[in-house]
Amino acid sequence: MNAIDIVLGGFLISALRSATPLLFVLMGETLTQRTGIVNLGVEGQMLVGAMAGYAATAMSGNPWLGLAAGAGAGFALSWVHALLAVGVHANAFASGLAVWMLGFGLSAYYGSGLVGAKIDGFATIDAGAIATVPVIGSVVAGMTPTVAGALLLVPMASWWFWHTRTGLRWRAVGEAPAAARTAGVHPAWVQVQAIVLGGVLSGIGGAALSVDYTRTWAEGMSAGRGLVAVGLVIVARWNPWWTLPAALLFGGTEALSLRLQAAQVPVSAQLLHILPYVVSLAVLTIVCLRRRTGGTPAGLAAVFDR
Amino acid sequence: MRLPRLFTAALLAATVLGTGAPASAQTIGYIYVGPEKDYGYNTSHDLGRQHVEKTVKGTKTLHVENIPETAEVTKVMERMIKSGATIVFATSYGYLDYAIELGKKYPKVAFMHAGGLKLGDNVGTYWANSDDAIYLAGMAAGAVTKSGKLGFIAAFPIPQVIRSINAFTLGAQSVNPKVTTTVVWTGGWLLPAKEAEASNALIDAGVDVIGEQVDSPITIAQTAEKRGIHVVGKDVDVSKFAPKAVLTGASWNWGPTMVKVVDEIKAGTWKPSHIRGDLKDGTVNLDPFGPAVTEPVRKRIIAKKAEILDGKFVVWSGPLIAQDGQELLAAGKPMSMDMLESMDFFVQGVVGTIQ
Amino acid sequence: MNRIAAPLLRIASSGALFLALAAAFFLLIGRHPLTLIAQIVDASVGSGYALSESLVRATPILLCALATAVPARAGLVSVGAEGQLYFGALVGTGFVLAQLQASTLLPGMLIAGMVGGALWAALPALLRIGLAVNETISTLLLNYVASLLVVWVVFGPWKNPASQGWPATAEFPPPALPPTWFDSRIHLGLWLGIAAAIGLHLVLTRTRWGLALDVIRGNPRVARLAGLDARRWMLATMLVGGSLAGLAGILETASIQGRLQANLSAGAGFSGFLVAWLAGNDCLRIIPLAFLVGALLAAGDGIQMLADVPSSVTLVAQGLLFVAVLFVDGWRRTRGIGTRP
Repeated sequence: MNAIDIVLGGFLISALRSATPLLFVLMGETLTQRTGIVNLGVEGQMLVGAMAGYAATAMSGNPWLGLAAGAGAGFALSWVHALLAVGVHANAFASGLAVWMLGFGLSAYYGSGLVGAKIDGFATIDAGAIATVPVIGSVVAGMTPTVAGALLLVPMASWWFWHTRTGLRWRAVGEAPAAARTAGVHPAWVQVQAIVLGGVLSGIGGAALSVDYTRTWAEGMSAGRGLVAVGLVIVARWNPWWTLPAALLFGGTEALSLRLQAAQVPVSAQLLHILPYVVSLAVLTIVCLRRRTGGTPAGLAAVFDR
Repeated sequence: MRLPRLFTAALLAATVLGTGAPASAQTIGYIYVGPEKDYGYNTSHDLGRQHVEKTVKGTKTLHVENIPETAEVTKVMERMIKSGATIVFATSYGYLDYAIELGKKYPKVAFMHAGGLKLGDNVGTYWANSDDAIYLAGMAAGAVTKSGKLGFIAAFPIPQVIRSINAFTLGAQSVNPKVTTTVVWTGGWLLPAKEAEASNALIDAGVDVIGEQVDSPITIAQTAEKRGIHVVGKDVDVSKFAPKAVLTGASWNWGPTMVKVVDEIKAGTWKPSHIRGDLKDGTVNLDPFGPAVTEPVRKRIIAKKAEILDGKFVVWSGPLIAQDGQELLAAGKPMSMDMLESMDFFVQGVVGTIQ
Repeated sequence: MNRIAAPLLRIASSGALFLALAAAFFLLIGRHPLTLIAQIVDASVGSGYALSESLVRATPILLCALATAVPARAGLVSVGAEGQLYFGALVGTGFVLAQLQASTLLPGMLIAGMVGGALWAALPALLRIGLAVNETISTLLLNYVASLLVVWVVFGPWKNPASQGWPATAEFPPPALPPTWFDSRIHLGLWLGIAAAIGLHLVLTRTRWGLALDVIRGNPRVARLAGLDARRWMLATMLVGGSLAGLAGILETASIQGRLQANLSAGAGFSGFLVAWLAGNDCLRIIPLAFLVGALLAAGDGIQMLADVPSSVTLVAQGLLFVAVLFVDGWRRTRGIGTRP
C-alpha cells in the first residue's frame, strides 16, 4: 500500500465504520419520520439492540444471530413508542425520551452480566480482485458485513420507498393523512409499521456497534448516536438516499477528530471533541438556508415545523 | 415525615425477616464512579471489596455505582453513614474534596480516598503506583515495535493518566531510545466506539503498539488483535480477549491493602496517611507476557523488575527531560511526591497536547 | 365537582399504572415489589434528610422544566435546557472568576448565569426564526456543544493550578455562595424555582401575554391577523426559558458543587423536558411532578445500598413512570375525558 492508500483509504474506511451503526438508525428514523412520527427513543432501542446482540453472539458464537437478536430487541422496545405516540396520541418527543430511559435502564440492567464475556465478531469481507484497485481496494478490504450491509441498505430502502406501492402508501400517510385514509390506507397502522421498522433498524445499528465495531458491551455505549440520528434526518432532508452522506458527515467528523490527534496535529483534544456536533449544526443550518422547508413531510411539519 | 416512615417500616417488617447483620459488625461503604461491572477500574475496586468482605470477619459492605465526581458523592457518602457505615472507600480521584469536607461533619467515620495529596483528621488516601509496572510494560513495547511509533489512548489529561503515558514512554525509550508515543484523548472513560476508532487511527498512522488508560481495555485490546498489532493492558488482565496482541500489562489487586487498612481501623491504630501500594507489596502486578515478547526481552524486563524491587532503580528520578527539551529533573535527583501526583507535563518523546 | 375529581382520578390512575408496571419489573428481576417500593419511598422521603435531598435534586429539574414549558407555550419544542444549564454555569463562573464587583458578587453571578442560559437559547431561537432551522434538533446538538465547552475550560484555560491536576476551576469565594436552609443543601434555587413557576403561571393564565401566546400556538393565521409577531414571541419565550435553565446551572455550580467542573447536571435538562411535557406545559403542575422525579432519582443511591440493586433499576423505574403518565393522559384524551383547552 502506498501513502495515499493509507491516508485517504484509511480515512474513508474509518468514516464508514464509524458511520455504519448511525446509518442503520438514521435510515429507520428517516422512514419513521416520513409517516409523520418522530422517535427520540431510537437511542434506547440502539442500546437494547447492542445488549441483546452481544448476548446472543456470546451465547451462540454466531454474530449473524447477534444482529438478529439486536433487531428483535429494537423491534420489541419500539412497540412502547408505537403504543404511546400512535395508540394514545401522546406527545412523541416525551414518549421518545421515555423509551430512551427505559432502553438505557433495561440494557444496563441485563447487560451487566455480559461485561467481560468474549465474542468473535465478523471477519472483514473478501474483497477479491477489487483489493488491488487503489484507494477503493483498501476501503473494500477493510469492510465488515455490517458496513457492506449498511451501504446496500441505502439503495434498497430508497428504491423500496420511492418505487413500490407500499412506499407510496407510507409517503401518502406522511404527506396527506386524510387523502390516504380516503384511498383506503389506515394511517395509524402504517405509522406503527414505520415505528417498528425503525425499531428493527436501530436494533441492528446497536448490534453493529457492539458485535462488530467494538466487540464490547458497555452500558450507555451508543453515547448519543441515536439522538444525533434524529437530527441528521433533517440534514438528509427526509430522503433515504441522503442518509448516506448525512451519516458519513457525522461519522467522518468523529473519525477525523481522533485521526487529527493520531496524525500529531497540535490542537486541543477537548475542542476537537466538539467538532462533530458543530459541523452537524452548521450543515443543518446551510441545508435549511438553501431549501427552507422543502422536503418536510406535510404531516410531520404539523408536529415539527408548525 | 412520620407517616411514610411508619408505612415503610411496616412494609419492611412484613417482607424482610432477619437479614440485618449483627450489631457489632463493621459496615464499609464503597463508591464507584462508573459501572461496577466494567471489566476495568471499577471492577478492580469491587474485587477489592469482595476480598474485604470475605477476609475480615464480621464485615458488611454497601456499594453504589455510577456516582459522578460531583457533590452528588457527598449525598451518597452521607447516606452510607446514616445506613451505618463507619468506613467509606471513595474509589475515584475526584471525590477527595467532598470526602474531606464531609469528614469534618462525621469525625468518627474513617474515609479512604483513591489518590490525591490532601488529608483530613479522618480522611486518608490510598493508591497503587502502577508506574513501575507500566514502565516494564513499556520496555516490552519498545522491544517489540518495528516502526518505533507507539500510541496511547486515554480518557482525560489528569495526573494519574499523564504518569502512565510518561512511564510507558520512558520504559520503551530505555530499550529503544528513538521511540515516540502519540497520545489520543477520547474525552470519556467508557466510550467503546471512540476507543475502537482511536485504535484504528493510530494503527493507520503506523503505530504498532498501543498503551491505554480508559475504563476498560477490552475494546482497544480486541481492535489491536484484529489488526495484528500489539497492546499493553491496564487495570485488569485482558490476555483472554487478545491472546496474540497483549504483550503484558499492569493490573491491580486492591484487596490486601484494603484489608490492612480495615484491620488497622478496627484495632484503633489507624492514622490518616497517604498509603501507596506498588509492585513490591503486590497491589500492582505485571501481567504474564504474551507470545510476542521474546525470551531475551523477558529476561531483561525481569532483571529490571528485580532492580526496582531492590530499590536500585527508581523510575521517577532524573535525568528527566520535558516534551519541549527542558530539563525537569537533574540526573540522580528523585521526584517529589508532590511533583509526581500533580504531574501535568509530558516527557520527551511523547507527542500530544495536555490542554 | 369535576374540577377536583378529574385530576384526582388522573393522578390515581397514572399512579396505579406506574406501580403495576414497576411491580411487574421488580418481580421480573426477582425482587419483592413491595419491599423495593417501600425502600424507594424510604430513601426518597423517609426522613428529613432524605426529603431535603429529594428537594435538592428536584430544584434544577423544576427550573429546566419551566425552561421547556415557556417556549412550548409559543409552540416550540426545545430540548435545550441541558445545554442552557451548562452555558449558564459557564458564564456565571466566568463572572465569579473575573471578580468584577465583590459587593454584588452573588446577584451579579446569578444574572450572569441567566444571561448565559438566555444566550444559549437565543441561538436556536434565531436559527428557527431566521432560517427555519428546527429548534428541537438545534437545541439537541447545542447541548453537546455547551457541555463539551465546559469540559474544555475546566481542563484548559480555567483549570485551578492549585487543584493538583484535577479538572475544575478555583473554588467560589464565600460571598458567591447562595444561602442554604434547614441545615441541608436546599438552596436559593428551590424558592426561585417555585416562585418562577407561580409567577409564570399567573402571567400565562391571567395576562394578555398568555392569551397572545395561546393564539400564536393555536392559530398562527389568526395571530397574524391580530398583528401578533410570532417570531418576536418565540424569541422572547426562548430567552425567558434559557435564563431559567441558566439560573439552574449557576446555582447548581455555586451552591452544590462550589466550583465549575466537567460533570454538572446529572441529566436535569432531559428530566426537566419530560416533566414539562408530562405536566402539559402547565407551570403549576410542573412543581409536584418535578418533585416526584427528583425524589425518584434521589432515591437511586439509597436503593442501591439498601436493596443491593444496580443503578439501572432507578432509570427503568423513571422510564416506567413516564410511560404510565403519558399513557393515562393520552388514553383519557383520546377518549375525550378531562380534555384541557
